[in-house]
Amino acid sequence: MKWPRTFLALGSLFFGATALAAAQPNTLPPTIGPATGLADSAGLRATVFGTPPQEIAPLPETVPLQEINIALPWTRAVPEVFWFDGRLRVWFSGQDKPAPLAIVISGFGSDGNTTKISILRGALYGAGYHVLTMPSPTFPGFIVSASSTGVAADLRQDSHDLYAAMQQIIAHLPREIQITDVDVLGYSLGGANAAVVKSIDATEGKLKVHRAVMINPPVSLFESVSRLDKLFAINIGSGDAGVENLYRRLYTRLANLYRNSDRVRIDESDLLSAAAAVLKTDADFSAAIALTFRTALVDMFFAADLYAGTGVVVNPRSPPRLGDSLEETARILRGKPFSEYFAKVFAPYYLARRRDSTPESLRADNRLDIISDALRSNPDYYAQTNSDDLILDKPELAWLKATLGERIAVYDHGGHLGNIGERRQISDMLEMLAGRWQHTATR
Amino acid sequence: MRAALFMGWVALALGGCASQSFSMRGLPPETPAADNAAAIKAAAVLAAAQTDASQRALNQEGPSTAPPLTAADAPSMYTYDPWERVNRFTYRVNARFDEAVFLPVANGYRRVPAPIRSGVHNFFENLSELDSVVNYAAQLRLGGGAHSLGRFLINSTLGIGGLFDVAKRFNLESDLTGFGTTLSKWGMHPGPYFVIPLLGPATLRDSVGLLGDFGIVYAIDVAQLYRGNKTWALGVVDAVDQRSNTSFRYYSTGSPFEYETVRFLYVHKELIEDEALHVKDRPKKRDVTAPAGK
Repeated sequence: MKWPRTFLALGSLFFGATALAAAQPNTLPPTIGPATGLADSAGLRATVFGTPPQEIAPLPETVPLQEINIALPWTRAVPEVFWFDGRLRVWFSGQDKPAPLAIVISGFGSDGNTTKISILRGALYGAGYHVLTMPSPTFPGFIVSASSTGVAADLRQDSHDLYAAMQQIIAHLPREIQITDVDVLGYSLGGANAAVVKSIDATEGKLKVHRAVMINPPVSLFESVSRLDKLFAINIGSGDAGVENLYRRLYTRLANLYRNSDRVRIDESDLLSAAAAVLKTDADFSAAIALTFRTALVDMFFAADLYAGTGVVVNPRSPPRLGDSLEETARILRGKPFSEYFAKVFAPYYLARRRDSTPESLRADNRLDIISDALRSNPDYYAQTNSDDLILDKPELAWLKATLGERIAVYDHGGHLGNIGERRQISDMLEMLAGRWQHTATR
Repeated sequence: MRAALFMGWVALALGGCASQSFSMRGLPPETPAADNAAAIKAAAVLAAAQTDASQRALNQEGPSTAPPLTAADAPSMYTYDPWERVNRFTYRVNARFDEAVFLPVANGYRRVPAPIRSGVHNFFENLSELDSVVNYAAQLRLGGGAHSLGRFLINSTLGIGGLFDVAKRFNLESDLTGFGTTLSKWGMHPGPYFVIPLLGPATLRDSVGLLGDFGIVYAIDVAQLYRGNKTWALGVVDAVDQRSNTSFRYYSTGSPFEYETVRFLYVHKELIEDEALHVKDRPKKRDVTAPAGK
C-alpha cells in the first residue's frame, strides 16, 4: 500500500518548487538593476529566502483556523475550466472573547493562506486580534468568485470588490464572534489594496475601518510590473524559449546534485537544500523572482482574456472545455509580458466602459497617489518598507516617505518582503495597528 | 451491497458539498511556535548538508563517477501524456473526492492525540520495510536491504510491533524503496503519465510499481494482516494516515493550469530520481526532443 507516496512527492515538490521559485508563492516580486539602482545581492536573496527562522518574532503555540467558502451574490457564471473556483475561500482565526478584527490581504497573484500570511496570522492572533486572511484580487480564485469584472489589477476596482466581499463575509460570521474594531493590512500589492479599501470605507462607512498598514506596497503597480518584465527579459530571455533554457539549466543542476548525493529519494529538506544549491548568481535569483511573477501573471491574463472576450489566447466563441489540454495556451502566455496584458485586455476592456478614459488615465488611476490626500492627512494610514525593496525606485520611496511622513518605517534590509515576520517588523506592525507607533523607532 | 452503500454515501457527499452559499469548517489549528522551532533545526541541518555537498564536489567524491550532465541532456519540458483526456477526468474526480471525503476525514483524524497518530504512522512504515527488503534485493542493493531488514527487526521487537521507531535512535533512518524504483533500476522508462483513480498522479511505471508492492506485501502476509476484512480496514487507516501527513490540496493554486503544473512537477521529479539511480550505469542516449517520460 504505497500509493500515497505520489501525494507525498507532490506535496514536497510544491513546497520545494515554491522555495525554488521564490520562498513566497506568488507575491509581487521586485525589479533590480539599472531600473531602480537600489538592487543588491542581499536584497535579492532576502526576497527569495524570506526571514531566517531564528529571526522570526515570538509566535503563539496554537492558532485556531477555520476555512470559509462563500458564494457571492454578484458572481457571474463560472467558466467551465474554473469549475473549482466558484466560491471565494478565505481563512478565519477567531478569539473567544470580543476583539478587534485584522483583515490581511495577500500579494500579487497569491491566495490568502501563504507562508507569509501564516506568520502574520500567528503574530496578529497572538496580539489578541480576530484574523481574516484574504487572497489578492489578482488570484484566480478571487477573479472567478468575487471580481465584478473578471479583469484584475485595477487598483480601485479590485479594492471595491475586496471591500464588498469583506462585508459579505463579516455579515455571515457566527454571532458569537464579537468584533470591537476593524483594521486592514496587506503586503505587496495587498498593501496598496488595504489602503484603498480604507479610503473607500471612509466614504461608504460600511465596515468602519480604523487603521490600515501597508507592508512593502508598490507605489505604481504598472511601473513595478514593467520592471519585472524587464528583469524577465534580461535574465530569462524573451518568450518560451527563454523559459525552456532556464528549465534545462535548473534540471541539469538539480540532477547533478542528486547524482552527487547518496540519497535517491527526493524529500522536502533535500529539495530545499537543492534549491539553495542551484540558485547561485544574482541572475539566478532574479530569474527565479521574475518567473514566479510571470507564473502568476499567466493565470490572471488567462482569466481576464476569457472574461473580457478579448481573444488573445482564448477564442471567445469556443472557450476551452473541461477535458481540453491547456498546455499550448500556457506556453503562449508564458511569453507575454504585462505590457501586453495592458494593451490587449486591460485597456480595451476598461476604455470601453469608462467614459473619457485614456490609456494614460488608466495608468494614472493605478498609482497609490489616487489616495495621496488621505495618506498625507489621515493619521490612521501606516506603511513599512525596506530601502532595498526592489519594487520601488528612489523617487517612489521618496514619495512614500514624503506622503506618510512620521507614519512609515523604512528598514535597511529585507528586499521585497524578505523581513516579514522578523521581530522588529512584527513589533512595529502591531504598534502601528494600535496607533502607538513612534517614528523615532525606525532603524 | 457494501460497495453500493459506500458509493451512495460518496454521491451524497459529493452532491451536498457544493450547495451551501456560506460554509465555515474547522481546520487543524496552526502551531507557529513549534513550526518555527522545527524550521530553525531544519536550517541547521541544511547548512551542514550544504557544506557536505560542496566539500564532496570539491574532492570529487561521491557515487558520481560519470561526467556531469549538461543542459543538452535535460529531457523535454513537455510530458508524455497520451491518455490526457481520461487523466484530466480522473484528476477532477480525485479532486472532488478529496474535497468531499478524504480531506475532511484526514482533518478529523488530526484531532487524535499526536502520540497515537505517530504510532499508527510508524506501524505502517514498519510494514513497508519488508517490501523494501525484497525490492532492495531485486535492485541488487544489498546494503539497503540489510538496512531495511534491521529496521524491521528492531522496530517490530523493541518498537512493540512497529509502533515506535526505535531504530532511528540507533541512527538507522528510514529509507524505503519500492517496486517502482526496482522497475526503474531494471531499465523501464516512466512511460505515459497516468492519474490513478482516487490515489493521484503517477506514471505507468509507478502504477505497476504500486501493484507490485501490494503483491509483495500480500505474498509475505506478515501476521496475516493481508487476508480477510481487516485488509480493507487497514488500507483505509493507512490512507488516512498518509493523507493527514500530506499538505497537498487540490486546486489550492486556483490556476486553470494546475493539471499541467502537477504533471510537469511529478514526471520531472521522477526523471531526476532516475538520473541519480542510474548514475553508475553507462550514460544512455536519450531523445531529448521526445516528450518527457516516453
